[in-house]
Amino acid sequence: MLKSWKLKEIVLMSLFAVVFGIVYLLFLHVGNIWAGFIGPIAYEWIFGIWFIVSIICMYIIRKPGAAVVSETIAAAIEVLLGNAVGPRLILSGIVQGLGAEAVFAATRYKRFDLWVLMLAGVGSSIFSFVYGYFLGGFSVYSTGYVALMLGIRILSGAMIAGIGGKAVADGLLATGSLRGYAISRSKKGEARA
Amino acid sequence: MKNALHRMNPSVKFLAITICMFTMAFFFDPWTPLVFWAGVLVLQFFFSEINWKRWLLFMLPFFVTSFGYFWTTLVFAEDSSGSVVWSIWNLQITETQLNHALSLSFRVLAFSSLSLLFALTTNPVTFILSLMQQLRLSPKIAYGVMVGYQFLPVLKDEFVQIGQAHRLRGAGGEKNTLQRLLGVRRILIPMLAGAVRKAERAAFAMEARGFTGERRSSYFRVISMGKLDIALVSLFLFLLVLSCTHIWWLG
Repeated sequence: MLKSWKLKEIVLMSLFAVVFGIVYLLFLHVGNIWAGFIGPIAYEWIFGIWFIVSIICMYIIRKPGAAVVSETIAAAIEVLLGNAVGPRLILSGIVQGLGAEAVFAATRYKRFDLWVLMLAGVGSSIFSFVYGYFLGGFSVYSTGYVALMLGIRILSGAMIAGIGGKAVADGLLATGSLRGYAISRSKKGEARA
Repeated sequence: MKNALHRMNPSVKFLAITICMFTMAFFFDPWTPLVFWAGVLVLQFFFSEINWKRWLLFMLPFFVTSFGYFWTTLVFAEDSSGSVVWSIWNLQITETQLNHALSLSFRVLAFSSLSLLFALTTNPVTFILSLMQQLRLSPKIAYGVMVGYQFLPVLKDEFVQIGQAHRLRGAGGEKNTLQRLLGVRRILIPMLAGAVRKAERAAFAMEARGFTGERRSSYFRVISMGKLDIALVSLFLFLLVLSCTHIWWLG
């Protein structure tokens, strides 16, 4: 899988992971404080932010594996930053990345419209929820509460990761720094600054 | 012996911790995570040299989180069988609910102290090197991650600089939280654009110096595995078995 990858694409993912690693950690602290008052549901509405890097990287690089590898690298960088959540994050990074990857794989890495990106956010939400359900012991909660958590997370995944991720990547494309990546090749013919 | 956890192979430590966490996820009684948590603290006390003040600082938010888990489980628990042990207002708390709530909050504490044990005793670069040498992580990814890690201070400086540049031109300074959150995009895009250029330059420099991303047969820094790892893994597993079988020895 990695044979077709250029080194610059991998380093790009790694640097994006650093930038978003900082953002993720910020949100994690916000989530942790909230969780004290309103319990695990506190993470749900901001959960989409954790999926954003896989969607941005896939949207830019457009190669099989971009979602899962970038999300895993982001998690690894978060661990390297000296994060207390530690190695557990790497596993959740892999799971979240696989969720987004599954959606992109279903379109055979051919379509990158807004709805696909939103669905990828939903995919990450569902995968990470199943993982969290098991590890966080959500099975002791009542069904309604769990459904509410899942609903908020899906919404957050679609909105923050899908729409937000596309907005960031399109903004980046407009700066002209993404020449040489798949995203700018696909937009040929359109007038671009 | 005091720095055994620091000298342990990072990949082995990572796997041992992962196995422990996944096993713990099957238990919903308060004693298993509590015994395990205590055991982790004992391990950390005897086999690592860490700054306990720092440890406490990192643990504080998790105490808050575990409290959050405690009361939400009490209120939203599914299984409300058993005898009522406690009632506040019109809320009846049964034994099962209380057990589940305690279990989940102890689980948060056990998981976070286990993670802290890893974070505080592991050198990040050694961890990546070990992932590459022991767990066959692709060198392309391993060195890519390390490049990103090295750029961290640069990117931090850039974050401050872009913020200052915005302020110089009169942008920013929103009071509203929502506006400030949307304002992050203004800083994020220049930072990412800079990151793209840095990535290209770094990758080019690596390739110019002969980095092909292929697996090597020998490494400059060899991360080894030894008897110490076997001993510590058996300690972890012993602790796991001890906490999972508490029913027999606690009665």
